[in-house]
Amino acid sequence: MKKNYETDESFLGRWIAGELSEEERIAFEQTNAFKEFHIINKEAQLLGGPTIDVENALKTVKEKLTPKPKRNKIIKLWQAISVAAIVIFSTGILLTSSKTYTTGIGESQTIILADGSTVNLNANSSLSYKRFFWSSNKNVELTGEAYFSITKGDDFSVETSKGIVAVLGTEFNIKDRSNFDLKCYEGKVQFIQNDKDHSFILTKGMQVSIEENTLKQAIFTEETPTWKKGVSTFTEQPLSEVLEELAIYFDVTFDTRNIDTTRLFSGSFYHTDMITALKATLLPMGITYKKTGKTIVLSE
Amino acid sequence: MQENEPSICEEKNYNELFRKFYEPATKYIYYKCGNLQRAEDIVQNVFIKLWKLCATITFSKAKSYIYTASNNSFLNEVAHEKVVLKHQKAVTEHSNHESPDFLIEVEEFRVKLKEAINTLNPKEREVFLMSRVDQKTYKEIAEITGLTVKAIERRMSKALKELRAILGKEIKI
Repeated sequence: MKKNYETDESFLGRWIAGELSEEERIAFEQTNAFKEFHIINKEAQLLGGPTIDVENALKTVKEKLTPKPKRNKIIKLWQAISVAAIVIFSTGILLTSSKTYTTGIGESQTIILADGSTVNLNANSSLSYKRFFWSSNKNVELTGEAYFSITKGDDFSVETSKGIVAVLGTEFNIKDRSNFDLKCYEGKVQFIQNDKDHSFILTKGMQVSIEENTLKQAIFTEETPTWKKGVSTFTEQPLSEVLEELAIYFDVTFDTRNIDTTRLFSGSFYHTDMITALKATLLPMGITYKKTGKTIVLSE
Repeated sequence: MQENEPSICEEKNYNELFRKFYEPATKYIYYKCGNLQRAEDIVQNVFIKLWKLCATITFSKAKSYIYTASNNSFLNEVAHEKVVLKHQKAVTEHSNHESPDFLIEVEEFRVKLKEAINTLNPKEREVFLMSRVDQKTYKEIAEITGLTVKAIERRMSKALKELRAILGKEIKI
């Protein structure tokens, strides 16, 4: 015989709700199935539902609802102002910022400027120029040594510690270390010494050098600066200058307490190997050297 | 529309509705989707909408609006994913329970009960859980779901039969 709970599709639902008739209930409780339903019902009622934080949810919803119009506008205005300020400020920095190229000891770098001019930057030197509107005022700053090959065109000038070199399409080399040396290899350059009324015009093969605030003019014959070929050459130049040059290409310092650095040297060294360079410069002068770490102690 | 009905646009009345219906509505959606976070998001959005529509919904209609809108947005959003309900541990201590009628471990049985509930058709499951876990009357469930009490009785019966079919063999008397 079919049971009520199988035939009557609302029977169990009514049982749960306690809406069975007395008769139905007693008959149902006699069945084996009842015990199973009873346990399922009992256990199901012991299950916990999800924990819901109503107050927290109300807060969340309120936050989404609250218009706060005035405060928002003020915040937005301040945000806009600060964004604008940052933009203006950083644009200002950008417009007045400089691009700087720096070379370390033994390094060299070729820089091509916006107008097509090239600058060969020698070791331990730096070149900088304005990032923007450079073409309307072609001005670069140099420390150290560089060879300039300037495209013909507008005025181009190089600021150095000793003065300004102004050019009109030419090739020249500036060495601005402890001594200053300007050589014109092509065309014409003008050198305007700092704090002086007069200027010098140099054409191909002419040279201006400043040693201890004394300006000298000279003539030279080389076609390109020897440093560009990896050689440093000296003609009756003080030993101090030679040592300074060595320290540009090799990562060393010299202890010169035991020697006379004013003695003059003529000769050259290659930038490729330090030991060979030291021998090429120091041996002819009768100077011996002892290397400890990065320091080279010299003695007569 | 009665003129003397409280306005939902008044925060006090809105809060009252929220405190009254947020939890049951969230549970209702939770029993459908099995994801509490999602259920809360759905119901919270319904309450946000309720605030915006506060002038057009009367206080007495808010209840059915909340449940209906929650269900609709759930249906719009969900292509009936597999529900995994994470019931909390049983709330009542079981040591007081009349001496166990069945031999399998109680804890083990509960795990199986949860799994069995999860396999129910969502229509039966939501009714079953609202009735058994939340102890809602059929009339209350009818208001939430928009079903008739008769339909709920049928769903309830079906749910119990299915659970017994799955679990009956686990219960040794």
